[in-house]
Amino acid sequence: MTRPDASGPIVGVVGHGVTGRRLSTYLLRLGTNVAVYDPAMSGTPRGAVAVSRANDLAVTDVVALCHPQPHARLAAEYLAAGISVVSMSADVVDVRALVDLDHTARRHNASLIVGAAMSPGLSGLLADHLWRQLHVAEEIHVATHGTAGPACAVQHHDALGETAIGWHDGVWIERPGGSGRELNWFPEPIGAKDCYRAAMPDPLLLQRSFPGCSRISARVSGTRRDRLTARFPMLTPPHAAGDLGAVRVEVRGAGADGARVTVIAGASGPTADLAAAVTTVCVEACLAGSVEPGMHAVGGPSLDAPALLRRTSELGVQLQEFTGVARSSAW
Amino acid sequence: MKVAGSIPASPTVKALRRAFVALSLAGAIAGLLRARGKGGIPPQEGGWSELKLPPA
Repeated sequence: MTRPDASGPIVGVVGHGVTGRRLSTYLLRLGTNVAVYDPAMSGTPRGAVAVSRANDLAVTDVVALCHPQPHARLAAEYLAAGISVVSMSADVVDVRALVDLDHTARRHNASLIVGAAMSPGLSGLLADHLWRQLHVAEEIHVATHGTAGPACAVQHHDALGETAIGWHDGVWIERPGGSGRELNWFPEPIGAKDCYRAAMPDPLLLQRSFPGCSRISARVSGTRRDRLTARFPMLTPPHAAGDLGAVRVEVRGAGADGARVTVIAGASGPTADLAAAVTTVCVEACLAGSVEPGMHAVGGPSLDAPALLRRTSELGVQLQEFTGVARSSAW
Repeated sequence: MKVAGSIPASPTVKALRRAFVALSLAGAIAGLLRARGKGGIPPQEGGWSELKLPPA
């Protein structure tokens, strides 16, 4: 671990749950000063400074929002103070509100990176990587499995019971969460999982990043019980320490010879690690001054997505690609 | 037409008879489709491997 430089930049972390702790660990390991705000936190995290009010982080250089949604209100306050913000929010309404803060960010010469987690986040970086491999890319389909901390698990639960959005031939479509079953193979050790449409903000952000794309969908894995109980409060308490997760991105299009081509990439590991790695590289980019003022979606053209993906890999995220012919089975 | 000695079937028996006929027909059609299907071989190649990122 590199010793933090007292005169170096300070990163504020709001929310010190499973993912927030992982983010702090990444940042401290890189020698960054970390200040944490979490009213539910007991004790001071090792190597970091705990503050008692969210306003106390107004002296930091970048603030990473890792607490349960909504993020938009707090993000607006930090942006108004000229502080760049990186948000992990995965709630559709919240992400819409964050996207609308573009003007606020520009006016105060600050950057706002939205969807800096596993999905959205790593899904956008993988989509960008795959998009570049095709001569003409037309469709992006994202599937995720697993949750980070308890707040993430609650959001995953709710997402299956809410209305899912998708981009279909140039128009937004809405479908019931829990519909559209699709069997997806995730990188090992996750393997095959049934996935369903859910209220995920990935299509919203991917459509901004890839405006030429004709179809975008996002699904999450779920069991029969998940679908049955999605519209009720969670019956069982979520996994306190998070669990293994995976993200899988499939891009369809055509090769240079006109042949139909499907390329697939993904990653698996502890969900909090995958999400926090993406947040870390976004924070690094903000600190390096390589992010222009305004709102940015991870994977979008305004960020150097290949560099961010490479840096994510350097932090230990094992990126994988599906080799072989991706086609529907004949049996 | 009523025939001497015949006993009209009760609604329950009628429903059961119809269900039996429907199930028999469904089974026969499914069997026919299964017999005509070619089956196939599941994918024998492909899988996940490390993603090689292009150099910076």
